Amino acid sequence: MNTCTDCLSRNTCASADKPMEEYIRQLPLETAHHRVEGQSTKCGFGLQGVCCRLCANGPCRVTPKSPRGICGANADTIVARNFLRAVAAGSGCYIHVVENTARQLKNTGLYKDKIRSEKALNRLAEIFGVTGEDKYDLCVKVADKVLSDLYRPEYEPMELVEKLAYAPRVKRWKELGIMPGGAKGEVFNNVVKTSTNLNSDPVEMLVSCLRLGISTGLYGLQLTNLLNDVVLGDPEIRMAPVGMNVIDPDYINILITGHQHSLFTYIQDRLLDEDVVAKAKAAGAKGFKLVGCTCVGQDLQLRGAHYTEIFDGHAGNNYISEAVLSCGAIDAVLSEFNCTLPGIEPICDELKIKQICLDVVAKKANAEYIPFNYETREADGDRIIDEIVAAYKERRGNVPMKLFTDHGNKNSLTGVSEGSLKAFLGDSWKPLIDLIVAGKIKGLAGVVGCSSVAYGHDTLTAELAKELIAKDILVLTAGCSSGGLENIGLMTPEAAELAGPNLKAVCKQLGIPPVLNFGPCLAIGRLEIVATEIAEELGVDLPQLPLVLSAAQWLEEQALADGAFALALGLPLHLGVPPFITGSGVVTKVLTEDMVGLTGGRVIVDPDGKSAANQLEAIIEEKRKALNI
Amino acid sequence: MKRIFIDPAKCDGCKNCTLACMESHRQDGGKGLYTLDLTDPANQSRNFIVADGKGGYAPVFCRHCDVPDCAGACMSGALQKNMENGLVEYDKEKCAACYMCVMSCRYGVPAISPDRKRIIKCDFCAHLEEGPACVRACPKQAIEVREV
Amino acid sequence: MERFVIIGAGAAGISAAQVLRDVRPKDTITVISTDEKVHSRCMLHKYLGHERDAQGINFVDADFFEKHDITHIACQTVDKIDTEGKMVCYGEYSAPYDKLLIATGAGFFIPPIPHFREAPNVFGFRDLSDALKIDEAFARGKRVFIVGSGLVGLDAASALCERGADVTIAEMAPRVMPLQTDEYAASVYQKAFEEHGCKFLLGIGASDAVVDGDGNITEVILSNGDHVPCDFIIMAAGVRPRIQIALDSGIAAERAIQVDDHLRTSAPDVYAAGDCTGLSGVWPDAMAQGKAAAWNMAGVEEVYEKPYPFKNTSNFFGVTMLSAGRLDLTEGADVLVHKTAGEYKKAVITDGKLTGYLSLGDISNEGLYLYLIRTGTDLSGKTDKIFRLTFADFYGINEKNGEFAYQV
Repeated sequence: MNTCTDCLSRNTCASADKPMEEYIRQLPLETAHHRVEGQSTKCGFGLQGVCCRLCANGPCRVTPKSPRGICGANADTIVARNFLRAVAAGSGCYIHVVENTARQLKNTGLYKDKIRSEKALNRLAEIFGVTGEDKYDLCVKVADKVLSDLYRPEYEPMELVEKLAYAPRVKRWKELGIMPGGAKGEVFNNVVKTSTNLNSDPVEMLVSCLRLGISTGLYGLQLTNLLNDVVLGDPEIRMAPVGMNVIDPDYINILITGHQHSLFTYIQDRLLDEDVVAKAKAAGAKGFKLVGCTCVGQDLQLRGAHYTEIFDGHAGNNYISEAVLSCGAIDAVLSEFNCTLPGIEPICDELKIKQICLDVVAKKANAEYIPFNYETREADGDRIIDEIVAAYKERRGNVPMKLFTDHGNKNSLTGVSEGSLKAFLGDSWKPLIDLIVAGKIKGLAGVVGCSSVAYGHDTLTAELAKELIAKDILVLTAGCSSGGLENIGLMTPEAAELAGPNLKAVCKQLGIPPVLNFGPCLAIGRLEIVATEIAEELGVDLPQLPLVLSAAQWLEEQALADGAFALALGLPLHLGVPPFITGSGVVTKVLTEDMVGLTGGRVIVDPDGKSAANQLEAIIEEKRKALNI
Repeated sequence: MKRIFIDPAKCDGCKNCTLACMESHRQDGGKGLYTLDLTDPANQSRNFIVADGKGGYAPVFCRHCDVPDCAGACMSGALQKNMENGLVEYDKEKCAACYMCVMSCRYGVPAISPDRKRIIKCDFCAHLEEGPACVRACPKQAIEVREV
Repeated sequence: MERFVIIGAGAAGISAAQVLRDVRPKDTITVISTDEKVHSRCMLHKYLGHERDAQGINFVDADFFEKHDITHIACQTVDKIDTEGKMVCYGEYSAPYDKLLIATGAGFFIPPIPHFREAPNVFGFRDLSDALKIDEAFARGKRVFIVGSGLVGLDAASALCERGADVTIAEMAPRVMPLQTDEYAASVYQKAFEEHGCKFLLGIGASDAVVDGDGNITEVILSNGDHVPCDFIIMAAGVRPRIQIALDSGIAAERAIQVDDHLRTSAPDVYAAGDCTGLSGVWPDAMAQGKAAAWNMAGVEEVYEKPYPFKNTSNFFGVTMLSAGRLDLTEGADVLVHKTAGEYKKAVITDGKLTGYLSLGDISNEGLYLYLIRTGTDLSGKTDKIFRLTFADFYGINEKNGEFAYQV
């Protein structure tokens, strides 16, 4: 791999975070930002979704002389098939996360381990309609309810859907026939469906995407958060430092990557135990710190009020994970899901950073696999700690350090959830609703999801967020987009200066920034709970709210499954680049036009931040008008 | 004059050049590979890639020949060798679609348009400041512009 | 400084003038033509069909002569060449030359059918002047009788059909465009023309006529005795090289003006190019001859290789066809046919070489077939994919200048 600076004096991609852009440009190690240019020639067939590689007769492509693949599939079939397969894979990812999360809740109950929020537990028990002998039994029962739904066969509807989802939405979903069966079964079924010479009905496949979206959104997103709250604590609003300044070289620093906060329950407490801190001190450090990156970092940040000792802060989103590791002060990586970039492998090799993988789905080639296993967590935990201490000893002083101590800021607002926000407003949504009705807040925009680099690192996300707040639209974020926006200061109270006059006044009065961080992409589900509760108070269905969503720089298949949920909820969803669908007139039309008649939602593609903001504002104004506000 | 030099050993048959050519000449007012109509025979590529049957590919591109067969056959003056830049230029207004050029090109490069009113032939992307779109799109650098 | 004189402003004459000016920037070049305007006779049907005006069928720019400092003497016919004194004489005028090119082309031929050669309403379809006459005649009557269903006849027919004429075409051979088609291809064209209002009389010729008081033919009498009423007649039954000027000037000519392989005639410093040489009757060959003659006239010893004459494309009513080689010579040859909806191709393969090729439909990228035929390229081992050949099957590159080179 390239480590010589000569080889790397090539262009790195632009970033909304200018200091980070400069830092990365100077790095002697190769990151994703360096690789963007070399990959800038994109296959046009791939971009349009009309390349099919399913069978040995292929790869087939749609061209004027050959508009059908060898099997006879036309562009509509090929695109819909590719799209459904991606949504199924994405759904699978989130269902894997909620499955593990439910299992850990169950273990917590079985082992009578620490429960940080009984309030969260009781809330779930109420929604599910379960009772238990004690709180531990309740944990088991709640978890079992979730798991039994996930494990149902796909031809059995999941029980909790009606309990979790907004009633008007459920009614519509039943009309459309998209109530999901067992979540894992659905993923399985749709993988089968999209295999060779099976389903070739593009509309049926798109409808299946909606079904997958519902199971993804209710279970993978919403429930994961609520289950995590029980064991890990409710989110609390607070100010927190963000960016690479959070990294303190005096500690043994562990970078965490993934989405499964529940897999860290044991170790994050263990690292504070006296005997463990002693190990750190013996090695020459003050103790251990967890450094956040990717969604699990956002999870820790969200609940950071409960972890102020062990958690330093969230350094940044997925696409600066390589830069964070390159600073030299990170001694180990604990990974359990995405985004754990393959690009970290050579960097960890070069800088002797110990990689430990807790869930095989996120295994790096040079990582040690120590699967998280509740029964053996103590012995495993000690082993992990010892290996990390050994890595610290071996590497410090032997590898170059290039800290970035003035990157980011010290006062980003974090910890926003449907619970903490409502509490902040005085235990009611009324203040927020009043502000919206009065036009002080024109509407709500969820700028959520991933960070991507191919067209600029967070550039569209940042531009869009700035344009929206300038239009008095309150921006709610969740996912790696949050990581990008907080590092450029949009979540500090000072950012209110960038907002339009009305929103600025509101922010200053309440002492909040114009962009509110709900945390990991899982928390998009929380955002949707907020929307549901507000809709309920107003007595309307979700498509009627002055609410828009943007997954401007959506990255992966999970984002598409997420997006399918947004469509099922009837919300307008903006994407910066099309999800490999434009080769099919049918798929494009269904997603961008016909969907309105089906669920009320639709996809809007716009690579330009200004023009996207204008479109979204227009939609919000339309919805306001329809509500007579 | 400039000519697109071809190194067939580097060609992988990915057809990025084909798509770039289509994109460069599209007439629907759109822009970007996402919306390029991949099924429109009126906007076919001026170049074509043929699998050579031995695992390799033969890229067939207009050579803008020193002594062009096509311009030598043209009875309307539509095809002319521009002596300044060396390109064989095509004026579709003059063309009477007699197709003698199609018949005369010994490499079989020109194609006829679906409406049978013109030919489809490489124009070296004279309308683009950056030059031929195909060359810029090749991820293997199998084609490059050189001065001859 | 030499004085170049060119007789004729057709494909050969203009191509020669262009090359001469390119290589001799300062010498005087004069083009004397019977035609008033330079035009491509291959596009004459566009003019007759009122699709284009005269400039629209000009194959060079309107300011060609001014731009290249060439003197164009229009509407003059050269009646004598003084090969000793090196002068050309036209009307009362004469012009001296150092080198002379005869590019008089060919004129339409009227066979000795009674009344046809005298009747004022019998026209050819070679020059703009012919088209003008036809236009005038069409204003007086719309029933046209065309003799010959070759390219010229069909050109004229397609133009007049577009204008609502009542067209009858007589053809001696049993099918239309007999030299370029086979039965099937001919039937496709016939159907297309019939759908646009043409009537065909195949295997029939004109053998006599009924005339009115002014000598105009009012009815054509066919070889089978039928009478066909008409308003005017277009002769499209062949052309003859215009050799009168050579005969009158003592320059060797029989059916055509004789030339050597440098396009020199029997008279010193007198060259000939184009249809008047009889070497070919196809526009691209006339252009090539004009250029070659010009090089020789300018002092470059350029050998002109005889052209391969059997090649043709046609495009009528959206039906396109490419025809090359000898479709008629099938003795001892393999004749392969490929036919699907919208495509019809025929290949005649003799001793492993392609000797005839016909393609009806999308003729894109098929120029290589003409090359294979005229060069007699050996296609052994490739004949099973004869209809799917591309240059890829002969792929070679000239490393020095990047041009392609056939690898056989």
